[in-house]
Amino acid sequence: MDSLQNLIPETMLPDMMFYVFAGLTLGFGILVVANPFSRNPVTSAMFLVLAVISMAGLFVLLHAFFLAAVQVIVYAGAVMVLFLFVIMLLDIKDEQKRKIKKGFLLAGLLSVGTIAGLFIKGLHATRLDAHPSPTTEGDTALLGKLLFGQYVLPFEVVSVLLLVAMVGVILLSKKDLK
Amino acid sequence: MTLEVCVMALGVVLMLADFWLPADRKKFAGYAAVAALAGLLFLSFGGCGCCSLSGTAFNGMFVEDGLAVFFKRFFLIAAILVLFMAVEFSDRIAGGVSEYYSLIVFALSGMLFAASANDFTMLFVSIELITITFYILTSFQRGRLVSLEAGVKYLILGALSSSFLVFGIALVWGTTGKLNFNELAAVAAQFESNKIFLIGVLFILVGLGFKIAAFPFQIWAPDVYQGAPTPTTAFLAVGSKAAGFVLLLRVLFTAVPTVTAHWANLLIVISGITILYGNLCALPQRNLKRLLGYSSIAHAGYLLLGVAALSTSGQSALLYYLAGYLFTVCAAFTVICLVTRHLDNDDLSALAGLNRRSPLLAATMTLAMVSLAGIPPLAGFFGKFLLLKSVLEQGAANPGYYCLAFTALAGVVISFYYYFGVIRAIYWSKAAADVSPISLSGPIKVALWICIAGMFWLGLFPSKALNLATEAASVFAK
Repeated sequence: MDSLQNLIPETMLPDMMFYVFAGLTLGFGILVVANPFSRNPVTSAMFLVLAVISMAGLFVLLHAFFLAAVQVIVYAGAVMVLFLFVIMLLDIKDEQKRKIKKGFLLAGLLSVGTIAGLFIKGLHATRLDAHPSPTTEGDTALLGKLLFGQYVLPFEVVSVLLLVAMVGVILLSKKDLK
Repeated sequence: MTLEVCVMALGVVLMLADFWLPADRKKFAGYAAVAALAGLLFLSFGGCGCCSLSGTAFNGMFVEDGLAVFFKRFFLIAAILVLFMAVEFSDRIAGGVSEYYSLIVFALSGMLFAASANDFTMLFVSIELITITFYILTSFQRGRLVSLEAGVKYLILGALSSSFLVFGIALVWGTTGKLNFNELAAVAAQFESNKIFLIGVLFILVGLGFKIAAFPFQIWAPDVYQGAPTPTTAFLAVGSKAAGFVLLLRVLFTAVPTVTAHWANLLIVISGITILYGNLCALPQRNLKRLLGYSSIAHAGYLLLGVAALSTSGQSALLYYLAGYLFTVCAAFTVICLVTRHLDNDDLSALAGLNRRSPLLAATMTLAMVSLAGIPPLAGFFGKFLLLKSVLEQGAANPGYYCLAFTALAGVVISFYYYFGVIRAIYWSKAAADVSPISLSGPIKVALWICIAGMFWLGLFPSKALNLATEAASVFAK
């Protein structure tokens, strides 16, 4: 432990962790769409879970602990379980045999290239010497105070909205209405 | 706030009442809801706490001014008339009648919040409450394919427009750091030349344009109007559209008045094209609800005249016109709802021989069409007159207004053709397959007479309602 502390100055640790998590996110992201070993959609979905969890690590580095927790609970937990249900319910044998079409590949590369170009242009335009003051955004206590203080009215209206949505789902999907 | 809380409590009570009511009594829960809403409406005129003009609440998010009170009464009346219709319609809903009533009441609560929204957060949340409730109300007859199709179309296009709306709000917040309309108005002048800010405002207008079915965001209206259950269609045509307009007025004239002043030409063009599109596309329609769908697009165009005029007289004319539109459209849809009870389509031919089957229904439908067309002495005429007057008043400043007034007049003339096609179908169609008289229940007669009285009252004695509208519009004059 001591040797590690001597090796890496403490201020550099978050930077290194950033590269680790960013690399993991990218790596798992690639495995979601282009896994050379398996074309099984379930495998892709599991890699998406890993990508989402590594992204949560990035949020932790930004001190957005609440966002990180939500990322793990909602996306990696609830939404992905839903994905897996849908994949397993539908017949997905065709998907494993499907060939990658050249047109789609070209369109994909083109859009990724455009976005990458925009990012690079944006990065060049930013002045790197600017030091943003560290703020404690994403703090759960602050968020709670905002939700139940300043934004209490929209928050409560959203609860009505969720009630309506729940009633609607039950009405539209129930087998036989009496 | 009391009003909103009461309405939401009513929605929950209606849903719970489903447990205890025997199956054959469930439809009468609708009358209980009507009575409760009528009581709230009465109290709002009594001025005992419900609708007192008393500033803002929740850090300025919720505002209770003349405009909010005007629209709250408007929405209450609309919901009452729609609930009357829903009771008549209940035998055509496979199940969940109580839920149908309670969803209408929840949509009403969303509209009440929209009337008081003074903050982009409230704007978004209230619009979503209305829209999501309408997704369900639209696909409520899930045994009918057209109803489900309408629901899906509305869901997809509605989600698209919501994404525009929220993206626009994010851009406005990102550039100015303000969400409150009054705070934004204070700084909006500094951002007039900021492109990102302007795009944000434009995206917000796209989202609201979808709600009011203005060109080029009108594409959903005819299909959804045709497929949705008739009471839903009526509420969509009146309530949802009016909610869109109150938010549009607040955004344009409270939040970003300096930007709006530069965008007169944009509003003129949108208004003109909407009028022409709605009226021209309505010409070949044979389906009644689809025809009224296109007619509602045209009316969104007429209402936009009042917005494009950028004056207090334009805004008050808009409010007055909306009030007339409320009674007229509710009357038309109530008749459609009653006439098509035993039919599986809503074609014009369903109206054949209506004057022999039920003179009251025939007269109501005729009056509604005459009012929509804008012929004196009914509400529609005076509303159109006021709107055109407000547009012409601005003509000296910008010649575009003269073109707009001419377009609106041309639209009115075109609309005569299809509105009188409906009247002709009632009185002069030869083949009347079904000549059995239509029996009307007592409450629905009350609803029809309210609509007729409303149309005549607004047309013959406009001064009282116009005073209310002017008072409501005066919040923008400050």
